[in-house]
Amino acid sequence: MKEDGEVFDTVEEDLDGDLDPSTASVLLEQSTARALRQFNVWPPLLLLIGSILLPFALGAVWWSVRHQHPYVGPTGGALLVMYSVIIVWIIAVSVALRRATSGIGGGSVRQRKIEGLGMVGMLIAVYVFQGALLHAHVSHAIVYGIYPVTAPFIFVGSAFALNSAVKEDWRKVAVAVPIIAVALAAAFTGPVVAWLVVGIGLGVTLLGLAVVQLRERRVGLPA
Amino acid sequence: MTVEELDPLIHAPARLRIVATLAALALGDSLSFTRLQDILALTSGNLISHLRKLEEGGYVAIVKTGGGTASHTTVGLTPLGRAAFDSYATALNDLLLGK
Repeated sequence: MKEDGEVFDTVEEDLDGDLDPSTASVLLEQSTARALRQFNVWPPLLLLIGSILLPFALGAVWWSVRHQHPYVGPTGGALLVMYSVIIVWIIAVSVALRRATSGIGGGSVRQRKIEGLGMVGMLIAVYVFQGALLHAHVSHAIVYGIYPVTAPFIFVGSAFALNSAVKEDWRKVAVAVPIIAVALAAAFTGPVVAWLVVGIGLGVTLLGLAVVQLRERRVGLPA
Repeated sequence: MTVEELDPLIHAPARLRIVATLAALALGDSLSFTRLQDILALTSGNLISHLRKLEEGGYVAIVKTGGGTASHTTVGLTPLGRAAFDSYATALNDLLLGK
């Protein structure tokens, strides 16, 4: 699968010599950029899809609770919409992940699996704790409002940021920090608006990341 | 710095693309032969011949598992190969900057 306009469309693959330095430099940059795009588990298209789906999912819940006084919690229909959209998003992420990591073996693959299991475990713990809050008769505004829409992003996001910082992957840290900040800010906006704030925050973050990657591609940097 | 001083094992179009692609993987990772071939769009014979040269130089490690139709070949950059690629990229940059 060659891409238009790339230097290696015109080079003789089976010859060893006669590669001038400027052509070699372009070839090196293009090959690196192409490989990184191929191995990118978060391609721009996936991020763009997420920037639409996730605000829609959380927006559906906000729509169902926006006039509640006192706050009771999302309706069954809104939860159905939210979880359906989230499942579609998870499927899209899985397809992208499988495509990007196809044929790759080694330590990073094992590490990613362990990290994934850790994140899922943490997410389960967050929701089990939600059950404990309900059991302790904490108000619906917390149990069905502020907590479920902010806690997963605060705790799982922090773990993700910490793990990325340990690996000195500052790009991932730069993605996690605004999500954590938005979730923390949303916790102060109350059980109704929190759904909207987190939804918009996620959408903007994913859109921003997609735009950054697309701009990097345009200027020839590996995205 | 002159063109002749660039590592001849890497300074060839196909091998430069192979090494650059493998260098984009995480340290210690390997790539299946079929995926590498798909990314580079090289013929099987062409890719094998260049990989053999890189393997002889100690730049790549080729691991074949299984046998017959179930055989699976993976290719990864060795630490020597990664260091050689980094040196090559630096040398190429220096050459272009006239250092």
